[in-house]
This record gives sequence, C-alpha cells and structure tokens, in this order.
Amino acid sequence: MAAQALSIARTKPIMPVNPEEERILRFWTPVLLRIILITAVVLMAFGTGLALFVARYHIDPSSLRHAVAVQMRPTMVLSESIQGNPNAMATLGLMVLTLVPLVRVAFCFLLFLKERSSIFAAFTAYVLVGLIAGILLGKIG
Amino acid sequence: MLGLTVALLALAAGAGFAGALSGLGGGAFLVPALVVLIGLPMQAAVGASLLAVVATSAGASVAFVRDGWTNLRVAIVLECATVTGAIGGAWLAGVVSPALLEALFAIVMLQSAYFSMRKRDSDVLPASDPLCARLELGGEFPGDSGEPVRYGVSNLPGGSVIMVLAGVMSGLLGIGSGALKVIAMDQVMGLPLKVSSATSNFMIGVTAGAGALVFLSRGDVVPMVAAPVALGGYCRRDRW
Repeated sequence: MAAQALSIARTKPIMPVNPEEERILRFWTPVLLRIILITAVVLMAFGTGLALFVARYHIDPSSLRHAVAVQMRPTMVLSESIQGNPNAMATLGLMVLTLVPLVRVAFCFLLFLKERSSIFAAFTAYVLVGLIAGILLGKIG
Repeated sequence: MLGLTVALLALAAGAGFAGALSGLGGGAFLVPALVVLIGLPMQAAVGASLLAVVATSAGASVAFVRDGWTNLRVAIVLECATVTGAIGGAWLAGVVSPALLEALFAIVMLQSAYFSMRKRDSDVLPASDPLCARLELGGEFPGDSGEPVRYGVSNLPGGSVIMVLAGVMSGLLGIGSGALKVIAMDQVMGLPLKVSSATSNFMIGVTAGAGALVFLSRGDVVPMVAAPVALGGYCRRDRW
C-alpha cells in the first residue's frame, strides 16, 4: 500500500506540464488579474481624488467611531459612478478588487476541467460557490 | 479629509511593511492602527483590512505559481476549508460586540507571534499517506542543484481543521492568517516550508476575498476609508 502510494505521488507532478495549462496559468491568468487590479486601483484613486479635490468631502475623524456605511446595490453603484459620485466610484473600485480572488479561482476551475480532473474541479467549484455565497450572506445581514 | 487620506495610505503601506518584517502579516498592525489612531469602528476596520489584504496579495500568488513553489492542488483543497471559515467568521464579525472582537484580536495576535517564532522547516516526506496519494497532492519543487525534489503530503483532515480556524480568524479579525496556514501545512501536513509559504500566499487573497465580499455586501465598509487603505496595500504589494 505504502509502495503504491509512493508511486502515485511520484508519477503526478503538481505543476502544469502541457502547453494548454502553461498558456492558461502563465499567460492569461496574470494578464487578466493585472487588468482587473489596475481597473480597481484607477477607480479607487479617481473616486478618492474626486472626493478630495472636486467634491471637497469633509470627514470628521471623531464621527468615524459611529460610521455606518450605506449598503448600495451594484446597479446603483454603477449608475452613480457614471454620474461622478466619488463615494460610488470608490465603492465600485472596491467591488472590482474583490473580483481578483474570484477570477483566480475561476481560472483554476478551467485548469482542472482541461485536465479532466473532476474531483479538483468539484473542489474549485465549491470555493467559487463559497465566494458567491459570501455576497448573499452579507445581504442577509 | 486630505490629511486623513494621506494618513490612511501611509498606515496601510507601513502596516504591510511591519507585517512582512515581523512575519505576522499587515492586518496584525493595520486593524489596531485603524481603531486606535483613526477611530474607526472595529467592524469597519476589519472590512478595510480584508480589502487591503486582497490588494497586497494579488501579485504574490502568480509569481510563486510561475516559479514552481505553489502546490495548486493542496491550495484548492484547503481553500474549501478556509473559505468556509472566512465566511463564517465574517458573518460572526457582524454579530459579536466590538469589545469581544478587540479581545479576540489581542489573543490571536499573541498566538500568531508564538507560531511565527516556532516556524521551522520539517523534513521532506518521501511519500504521501493513502488519502493524499489518492488525491495526488504530492509534488516537486526546484532543488538547489536544479534537479526537482519530490515530496509527499499527509494528514489532510488535521490540516483542514486548522484551515477552517485560519479562515474564521481571517473573516472575523481582518487578517490574512498566513502564519497559521504555514504552520498547518509545514508542521501538520509535512509540506516543505518554502512550498507551505508559497501555497499560503496563494491562498491568503482568496480567504480574505471571501470575508471582504461579506463585509462589502453587508455595507460594513466605509468607501472613503477602505479605498485609501486598499491603495496603500496595493503600493506595498508583492511584485508580479
């Protein structure tokens, strides 16, 4: 049994070896993650800059102790951002930022599907569903 | 507001630097700084910190996957545990009192410091135990001479239990829980230390992302505070 286990462990390297996996993992994943991350950074920086220099928001640090953020629907955040609302723009940037882990896991899901590794595709699907369940749980309260 | 924004950017970048130096992670310094120095409610500080962890860890995993240190299969299996824990922890953070959260934070930081000091490289397992072998979790990493070094993995159930705890801590307290993840993989599952660190880096962003999604959709994030904090985290991110 131990000898069999050793032989299995040795025959399957964990790093991708075929060109398709290489292409997904080493090229497309970093490219897409970079695009998402830079979009999030630009939105957050633009929203903060607008609040500072155009809308001239004033936040009293002493009021932060009791600060309660307003729950905004994604469609509302998007439409308010287009209208130039700094708060909505920063919120949109934060929402885009949370896409980074989602997309990373989605790429792993594709990788395991390509590998025809159904058990790992199922594990990855569980993680994806868990991340989406987090959004729903937050909405419930 | 300009002074507050600059202070938040500096705090996030400084906390990331201190976290990297101490091995405790940026959240260990950022959450107390946001509560004590800025006066943010604990829940909002935790939400902002989780978003900063996502921004900071975004690059690390890709670099480590490229270098051949991350064990993607182990990461995905254990992420099932950390994501479950993180969502539960983030939900709890909205229920328990801020005073209890602050006390828990102090206890967890002491425990993380203890684990960080105990961190040591274990011997490479020559073979996986039957469950890990069936899941083909063993792998190889680039050795000093350039030849790949093969290793096995064991005790997946034990590692998973600790990962659920790491996830709860992350979602509840706004930390990456990297120290605990490395201990679970290195000491409990027998992975080599560098493989454990790389795999942990890959997992941290996903775990923090799960918690951050709960906070963001619940409305426990103050955008004009969280955005500069995340930008500070991004400035201190690991290079791609």
